[in-house]
Amino acid sequence: MKSTRLIGFVLAVAAISGAVYLAGPNRPDNKIALHGPNTGGRLVALYSSEPKSFNRLVSPLGAEELIARLTHATLIRVNRVSGEIEPRLAREWSSSPDGLTWTFKLRDGVTFSDGVPFTSADVLFTFAALYDKRVASPTAAGLTVNDQPLKLRAVDERTVSITFPAVYGPGISMLDTLPILPKHKLQPALDAGTFRNAWGVTTPPADLAGLGPFVLKKYAPGERLLFERNRKFWLRDEAGRPLPYLDEIQIDIVPETNSEVLRLESRSADLISDKVRPEDLAALRKKESDGDIRLVDAGISTDPDVLWFNLAPGAPAAKTRPWLQQEALRHAISYAVNRQVIVDTVYLGAAVPIFGPITPGYGEWYLPDLPRTTYDSATARTLLGSIGLTDRDGDGMLEDASGKPARFSILTDKGHTLRERTAAVIQQQLKAVGLGVDVIGTDPPTLFSRYQQGNYDAILFYVTVDSTDPARTPEIWMSSGAFHFWNPLQKTPATAWEASIDSLMQRHATTLDGVERRRLFAEVQRLLSAHLPFLHFTAPKVTIAMSARLKGATPAVLDPPVLWNAEVLSVSGPLGGRQ
Amino acid sequence: MSGQLWTFLIRRSVGAIFFVAIVSIAALVLVRLAPGDATTELALAHADRATIEAARARFGLDRPVLAQVGEWLIGLGRLDLGQSSLYSRPVADLVLERGLRTAYLGALALFVATAIGLPLGVVTGSRPHGVAAAIVTPISIALVACPPIVGVLALLLLAATTGWLSTAPGAVLVPTLALSLPLAATLERLQSQATAETLAAPDVAAAAARGVPPARLVWIHAARQSLRPVLGVYGIVIGTLFSGSLAVETITAWPGIGRLMYDALVGRDLFLVAGCALVGAVLIALGNVIADLIRAVADPRIREQL
Amino acid sequence: MTTPGRVGLGILGLLAAMALLAPVIAPNDPSDQFSDRAYAPPSRIRIRDAAGFRAPFIYKHVLEDRVLRLYREDPASPVALRWFAGGRLVSTASESPLLLFGADALGRDLFSRLVFGARLSLGVVLLGTIGAIVLGTLIGGMAGGLGGSVEAVLMRVADFVLVLPGAYLILALRGVLPQVMSASEVFGLMAALFAVAAWPHVARGVRAIVAVERVRDYAEAARAAGAGPIRLVRHLLPAARGFLAVEIVLLVPALLIAEATVSYLGLGFPEPDASWGTMLQDASNVRVMAEAPWMLAPAAALFLVVLGVQLLGSTRASATVLRLGDTRFPLTAATARR
Repeated sequence: MKSTRLIGFVLAVAAISGAVYLAGPNRPDNKIALHGPNTGGRLVALYSSEPKSFNRLVSPLGAEELIARLTHATLIRVNRVSGEIEPRLAREWSSSPDGLTWTFKLRDGVTFSDGVPFTSADVLFTFAALYDKRVASPTAAGLTVNDQPLKLRAVDERTVSITFPAVYGPGISMLDTLPILPKHKLQPALDAGTFRNAWGVTTPPADLAGLGPFVLKKYAPGERLLFERNRKFWLRDEAGRPLPYLDEIQIDIVPETNSEVLRLESRSADLISDKVRPEDLAALRKKESDGDIRLVDAGISTDPDVLWFNLAPGAPAAKTRPWLQQEALRHAISYAVNRQVIVDTVYLGAAVPIFGPITPGYGEWYLPDLPRTTYDSATARTLLGSIGLTDRDGDGMLEDASGKPARFSILTDKGHTLRERTAAVIQQQLKAVGLGVDVIGTDPPTLFSRYQQGNYDAILFYVTVDSTDPARTPEIWMSSGAFHFWNPLQKTPATAWEASIDSLMQRHATTLDGVERRRLFAEVQRLLSAHLPFLHFTAPKVTIAMSARLKGATPAVLDPPVLWNAEVLSVSGPLGGRQ
Repeated sequence: MSGQLWTFLIRRSVGAIFFVAIVSIAALVLVRLAPGDATTELALAHADRATIEAARARFGLDRPVLAQVGEWLIGLGRLDLGQSSLYSRPVADLVLERGLRTAYLGALALFVATAIGLPLGVVTGSRPHGVAAAIVTPISIALVACPPIVGVLALLLLAATTGWLSTAPGAVLVPTLALSLPLAATLERLQSQATAETLAAPDVAAAAARGVPPARLVWIHAARQSLRPVLGVYGIVIGTLFSGSLAVETITAWPGIGRLMYDALVGRDLFLVAGCALVGAVLIALGNVIADLIRAVADPRIREQL
Repeated sequence: MTTPGRVGLGILGLLAAMALLAPVIAPNDPSDQFSDRAYAPPSRIRIRDAAGFRAPFIYKHVLEDRVLRLYREDPASPVALRWFAGGRLVSTASESPLLLFGADALGRDLFSRLVFGARLSLGVVLLGTIGAIVLGTLIGGMAGGLGGSVEAVLMRVADFVLVLPGAYLILALRGVLPQVMSASEVFGLMAALFAVAAWPHVARGVRAIVAVERVRDYAEAARAAGAGPIRLVRHLLPAARGFLAVEIVLLVPALLIAEATVSYLGLGFPEPDASWGTMLQDASNVRVMAEAPWMLAPAAALFLVVLGVQLLGSTRASATVLRLGDTRFPLTAATARR
């Protein structure tokens, strides 16, 4: 009797636990439609950092940009894959004969997510907030030409004209970075001078309004953001069905890459925040053949690692080691480092060797016939000998003319495994030709502070761009730029070739002729290749991983890789794992 | 409690407040002196000079460090811990929000660790050559020797591959296990040692001679006495647990104060750093007071020392 | 010494010997990056092939798929092990290295890095632990033995050090120190940091024990006999031996782990020097843990160290146990258990 009662009890417990488990978060998604892309469902994406504000004008960082792409809309959009300009809030546009004034006709019948109609006043308001000194928006600099703001005029409720202060090469593509904000919600804050504090992360979602495909439904600080479909979204697909297809998008804040990848693999998430790490490729390919995951080759990355030396005149290191600033040293390093080893060892083959800052990921700007230095340690040693570095005491390492060992330090940021490994490989390769290298890893603020003070020998770092058009990043190419790595913020160009680059880039930014612009920038790249102020070794191949149920994705190299066109994404079934 | 104990409490608390303030100020000053500042993220996003200078002014970085310390102290009087430069929110709100999350996790982990570690420690301490000790002791040592990151990752791997546990941010089981298992092992080791020592004491031998049954000896007589040194450790344990474990919170995506402290450090968010240091100091100081209190309540001889 | 104690001593002795003899027993240079050997599995030493028994050898590892990290042994290329060549106990010709524990992400021999890293990690932890114990015992002993304002001041200082988040101190320190520091400079600094960070834990415990002992009969007797404060403290300190044994057991793994954390904040041993802390960081990757588990060798080594210390520490308890009772009997452990 006792044992049967026990068995019965155990079975009852098992049945109840089973019921509880099945009733839990593994509930299947909404019913799916059968024609074309499925409507409905919730996409689960992972992101590595949380937003500091819901006000895109105040913070341009990754999380804020992602939220802006989901909840706001721009006048025009640059298609991440084709590079073409697509109509968004502006349905058509035309330019004046001199190319300076553009007239945009806005779509009809568009309202914000709270029902208030969208008019040209909102466009003017957004620009006013952007350029307002009290707002001090970081995005403002990217929407100026020669430090002059754009001039706007509302022709009528449905037409806006934008006048450029000077001819601008990239043209209206710069408008892709500016989400149009609701005047009726934010004008009071702008007038009162409190625009910076408006729409902080504690703002109730009901107070936010946007023109994007989704609206914020709920924010659990530090944990997740939940977006739901904007029922007032103004775009329809070719068949006339209202967009977006998805009911909801859930973004979980997962700061650690290991957890992200595990969740994707166990089918608890659809997307991760970054490209696939080389060491995860094998496991994800296996999952792909099981049908759980889809891997898409998005191209070559546009933010490769770059090694530069401190070439500012009067740098403290250069006083005792003048050979540090010699051009021959950099050419020698380019010959001494076997790029294929970095490709094979650090990236497990998922990278390409590069010899300049513009990778194949930059599309039309890439120059395939740029001179490539082959791996040749003999040439490297000869070049080093030409600046006085030879092995004077037979210990295998080079010394300078005064007998001091040829040693320098490379500063890089800690916590970025691939870059640290690249630094270790470079260190090893340079040791083989007799150059001693100390790798110093620090956190980004320390690294940046040392860079700004010029207190370093060499730095291995990277730079992200939000557009492949070089005219959008003058701070790198112009000698007066803050990101002219090797010698930033020059009052007058320090060398003849930098002066040439300055004038070439000036012409590049102020002509509209595409062929001419490419020719000018090719010239810039050749100058950089000849004088090698900074060295590039490899650029990783970008592989984007997503769950197999995600449809309609067209991943690209620029951020956000998949969610940039979230309105056309759909899911074809429920997520498999626990969420 | 006697008036003596109350005076002791008050004296310690006043000392603690003064001391917590010093620690927070030290943290603020140290981070301010460290290279780099809160405008790095903006600069890396290619913001121009003017924006960065405006940001520096907003964060008070153009004023001398003592002025910022003074500002913080004055705010402290009003229980206002300043504005976070990273999150653009009041530090007090942030610290409270995240601190409670860590406290919740810490309390859970403490409970689980105590429930597992102490009884197991008594068992292995009273029967050092038994089957239980043979199984538990190596596992305990392995858990104590396991680096936190490796431990959490192993748990995460287990959770993800078996699907038994959720790895979503806010799911509490994986972080609790990650925190409580090594702690349980430490408690087990300590309790085991203390039990073995207590059982070998002459008064226990005397009780055995009087005919007290062994089970009663171990679980009531010896356990009570051996608990004292172990409970002494709880002060530090509470303090450390409730200040948050960076590894666990980052890897299991738990929005706690350990992660906040690290983000504040890397982001050079001065007031947030001071706020987090304050919370950490309060917790550890509180833990110390509790530990001393427990010892005082348990041992009359120590009360004399106060 | 009891058997567990002997085993513990044996384990620690073996590890110490391996660390000291690292240049001899490591088959390769710890910083050599062997091409096409990233994440290579351990080499299997064989003594017989199709032809029968022969001198120990390994088969050459051939990389089949770089992304999948698939290696295959090539039975057509046996590589003989050579002994006592170039100052090393055992090694091979360099294009096919002997990888006893496999290779890390950059193709470096894990075993060589482990034994060389033991010198740095074990050394720094040993020094730090000794420093913390000595400092903590001295300060805690003085505080507990002398009482009064001395005790109050010393314990305040201990609390302050305990509470200050080390990360901030290290960050500020890093900004002040020279950018490039040699391994020995980092070694000394880290040991000092560990000692300074850990002594309050020790001091608190020692103080508590000594304070209790201070009012015991024998202490009163000593005072009545005219013992000065220093002599008195020396009498009281042995009572803390049990506690100190436990503290050491807890400190060693904590400091070994701290070594890894500290290197994350920028105060670690510089590349390419290996230390168990940095090796553990490299292994902190789920993919690695699941597919190249030999990279967790430093965690296993860590476990062995803690085991050894634990076993060694447990041997003392039975000897001192009597003094924690209410009266002091000069009994041996054997008589106590009667």
